[in-house]
Amino acid sequence: MTDTVGTAAIEAEDLGKRYEAGGVDALQRVSFAVAPGEIFGFLGRNGAGKSTTVRILTTLLRPTSGCARVLGKDVVAEPAAVRAVLGVALQEAALDELMTGREHLVLAARLTGMSKQAAGERAAELLELFGLGGAADRIAARYSGGMRRRLDVAMALVRRPQVLFLDEPTTGLDPQSRRALWELIRRLRADGATVFLTTQYLAEADDLSDRVAVVHAGRIAAVGSPAELKEQYGTTTVRLRASGGARAVEQVRDATGLEPVPAGSDGWMVLTVPGGEGQVPEVVGRLTTSGLPIDRLATQPSSLEDVFVALTGAEIESGAGGGGDGALSAVRRGMGVTAGAR
Amino acid sequence: MTTVPAQVRLLLMRNLREGIRNPVLAYGLPVVIPLTMFILVAKTLSRVTDLPGFPTTNYAEWMAPAIVMLTAMTGVGYAATSLVIDIQSGFLDRLRVLNARPSSLLLSRLLFDVVRVLPAGLALLVTGLILGTDVNEGLVGIVLLFALLLLWAAAYGGLYFVVALATRNAQAPLALAPLFLPLQFLSTQFVPESILPEWVQTVSAWNPFTYMVDAARAVTTGPLTWTPVGKAVAVAVGMLVVTQIAAGLAFRKAVNPS
Repeated sequence: MTDTVGTAAIEAEDLGKRYEAGGVDALQRVSFAVAPGEIFGFLGRNGAGKSTTVRILTTLLRPTSGCARVLGKDVVAEPAAVRAVLGVALQEAALDELMTGREHLVLAARLTGMSKQAAGERAAELLELFGLGGAADRIAARYSGGMRRRLDVAMALVRRPQVLFLDEPTTGLDPQSRRALWELIRRLRADGATVFLTTQYLAEADDLSDRVAVVHAGRIAAVGSPAELKEQYGTTTVRLRASGGARAVEQVRDATGLEPVPAGSDGWMVLTVPGGEGQVPEVVGRLTTSGLPIDRLATQPSSLEDVFVALTGAEIESGAGGGGDGALSAVRRGMGVTAGAR
Repeated sequence: MTTVPAQVRLLLMRNLREGIRNPVLAYGLPVVIPLTMFILVAKTLSRVTDLPGFPTTNYAEWMAPAIVMLTAMTGVGYAATSLVIDIQSGFLDRLRVLNARPSSLLLSRLLFDVVRVLPAGLALLVTGLILGTDVNEGLVGIVLLFALLLLWAAAYGGLYFVVALATRNAQAPLALAPLFLPLQFLSTQFVPESILPEWVQTVSAWNPFTYMVDAARAVTTGPLTWTPVGKAVAVAVGMLVVTQIAAGLAFRKAVNPS
């Protein structure tokens, strides 16, 4: 379609969602754009607003303010046009316990308008792709957690989506299934699909994503490629060994302006360098200039986890007001999920 | 893109198939209460017909058309509960993302409730025939009886949808189940209007079930006149429209919390 050329695959503009019940702002002025063909990681703590964002972008929930477009179509004004290009796997595998794997896929395919025969073929193809061929005619109630997840993702792919939303797709998968899914996500991207991915596994986001956004307390805290974010918010750990005992520690402190932490008794110390590995040469340069006799040096690169913790806090309860767990329970309440109902 | 009728057909097939995998609850349960009540009442109250002004000497014949209509009230509710379970499990979101229209989702469930009542209605009709009911109006009467039954099941089932969707609680429709008890006693199900105490006559005139029972008798044991049938259709259609509008609004709120 020519009218979508040049536009972003997914655009959010000042997106806000307020749940009147409880007066919780789950999202506040969230803006970002995902380019066509990009794998976009959407990261945040529990209750930060990830699922609310996914629900709005997939036309399931109306925002209270702002707007969002998928391939140029407004999610509120043209939900049918948006749904026609979407594939969605939400956080909890959404299956019907009394339906078989095959029936799930056939129903989904038929709802998209495929003929009986085409739907049957598509279902068989996906069952094979997701390693569910042997369990195809078993009801979902007898599936393991990993099988349920795989079937759920398979359902998202029934109509060969141009934009795929995966909300924590690898949670509960064994390592083999997880790798297979990563491979699949990359292959979909190679075929031109755009992937919007939320995950709790930061190494996974780092590996897969072209860019990531970190959402915290209902706001976007940072957006960029994993490397950019590490450069900006991460820390690189430098371990070095120098002779000279306590005096060496002092010398390192004077030369770098950083606080070395002695590690062990044989002269090892650890320096935490703000930023990515790009900062290391300068630090090493200063150490060399200072004439300190260094005989061992190793660096440990920044991880996305460092970035994440730096942006969203280290404490276990986020307690950051706004979009805390209250927002999530408001979603749950709204959807009628009562405690112990399942 | 699929049309609403195509979606309803696909989703109804899903419901029927599920019903077959859960046959006792889906198709068996609607029979139990009316059948038990029918046999007990027909046997224990058989001498009610001795009362002056009672129009028949076979009490089972008096009860049979009414008890067929009762299956609608003991049979519905399963679909409303299933709909709430779909909301809770996220399966409904899945269907919405596949662009299933709200009307398709509601209508396919409602139709399932209606279909569920058919085996029960049939079982009770056969029981009635065994107990000596004369269907004076013949096959036409039976067809009309089942048309009324399905319409009444849709109308009464609407109440369950409203309650289920407004509370978003899968157990809530269960609380509605005993409603059939006062509705049947405060109607002309057990005895003709003339025998009811005066205050019950007043209540009964406002009870939709009275109209269904009266029409059911008119089309089966006769005599077939169109006034009771017309009134019953008007009452049931009215109830259907009101409950479905309310269910549609509750559905919108349930899927889009604010």
